[in-house]
Amino acid sequence: MSAILGRCLVQRFGRQVALGPLDLQLPVGGRLAVLGGNGAGKTTLLRLLATAARPARGTLELLGLDAGRQRDRLRARLGYVGHQAGLQPALTALENLELFATLHGVAAGEARAALALVRLVPLAGRRAEQLSRGQQQRLALARAVLHRPELLVLDEPDASLDAEGRGLLGELFEGRTVVMATHDAALARELCDRALLLKAGRDAGDPWALRVVGEGRQS
Amino acid sequence: MRFMAVALAVARKDLRAELRGRELLPALAQFVVLALVIANFAFDVDLVQGPRLSPGILWLVLVFAGLVAFGRTFAGERESGSLEAMLLTPAGAAAVFAGKALAAAGLLAACEAVLLPAMAVFLGSPISPLVVATVLLATVGMAALGCLFAALSAQTRARELLLPVLALPIWVPFVVVGGRAVQVAMSGQPLGAASLAGQPLLVLADFDILFVVVAALAARFVLDD
Repeated sequence: MSAILGRCLVQRFGRQVALGPLDLQLPVGGRLAVLGGNGAGKTTLLRLLATAARPARGTLELLGLDAGRQRDRLRARLGYVGHQAGLQPALTALENLELFATLHGVAAGEARAALALVRLVPLAGRRAEQLSRGQQQRLALARAVLHRPELLVLDEPDASLDAEGRGLLGELFEGRTVVMATHDAALARELCDRALLLKAGRDAGDPWALRVVGEGRQS
Repeated sequence: MRFMAVALAVARKDLRAELRGRELLPALAQFVVLALVIANFAFDVDLVQGPRLSPGILWLVLVFAGLVAFGRTFAGERESGSLEAMLLTPAGAAAVFAGKALAAAGLLAACEAVLLPAMAVFLGSPISPLVVATVLLATVGMAALGCLFAALSAQTRARELLLPVLALPIWVPFVVVGGRAVQVAMSGQPLGAASLAGQPLLVLADFDILFVVVAALAARFVLDD
């Protein structure tokens, strides 16, 4: 079964085509690195996969569910960290995760477990705004796995992470389907089993702008 | 049940952030007192005119305090990405919206806790439990609508301009009926004896129900992409 099945995905901002057309398929348990320069369409693609945006054209199935019509069911099964950490700055690290435990309908105890997973327990009582950028990124990652999602969608998760933090990514990916955008090809090779190279994704309607490398398929 | 749990968690989060940051409440309290001082001089209010002008001044101050309070409900969180993080959970946009509206209503109620005693001091307004109940009742519907438009305008660059343009015309029913209700409450006559608008408190309650339902239904389309 495919964890991700996208057909002819296109995303537009106004008249400008930001992505696609793109076919995408990723099996359950697969780990896909999305590579490409600035403005190549990586974030646009990830936002589609995270159900944060709807494609202008094409169909997208995630974990066997329609990404457009079954968003609420899908969101319980996927975790997303975008470009911004998206934390509540005035809340402590633990309060941030407890809030999201409530939003996901999971036990409050999961918040502390997620905090332990990213080695932030000693900073549980510190406000998010007082954490360093790398610690904030770890907290955002903890939030993304708090509800034990099957699919992780991460936009440059390695940004601001130190060596220990980057080491955590492998642990968080364990047993999950992962799509991550990164500029670090070495990290992509280390953590992922296939890669999608996006090039000039903003060129209007160029079907050859998107190319899969490594073990991935041509799209 | 789950809807309420999410709404309360989001409201608690917003109020906690405000209590820790103390950004909005002190400024709103100052605004309220300054507005009353200005009204006092502008209308040359004396003890005779004060109670007569009170309902109008009250709603004028409340409407503008509401614009400030609701205007900040979504804008900051949308920019920082924390609103999107909440919306990408299975909690549902309506529950998140309800929580934020609840918190905004709480902030406006706190503002009213300063406004009403200040009105008694500056304008000699007779403040009774009925006046308080009337103002609180109007706050519910105003918060629902204000937050809906705040969510809508937060998506635009000209949000500071757009929010008043959208919200003020729709708040007119609250100002008209609320003004009448406060007038009746301040006069000391029993509400049942009032005409029309007859039972202004009931009309206010009807508006609350209508606008809360409309806002809850529209929230999903406004918040979700």
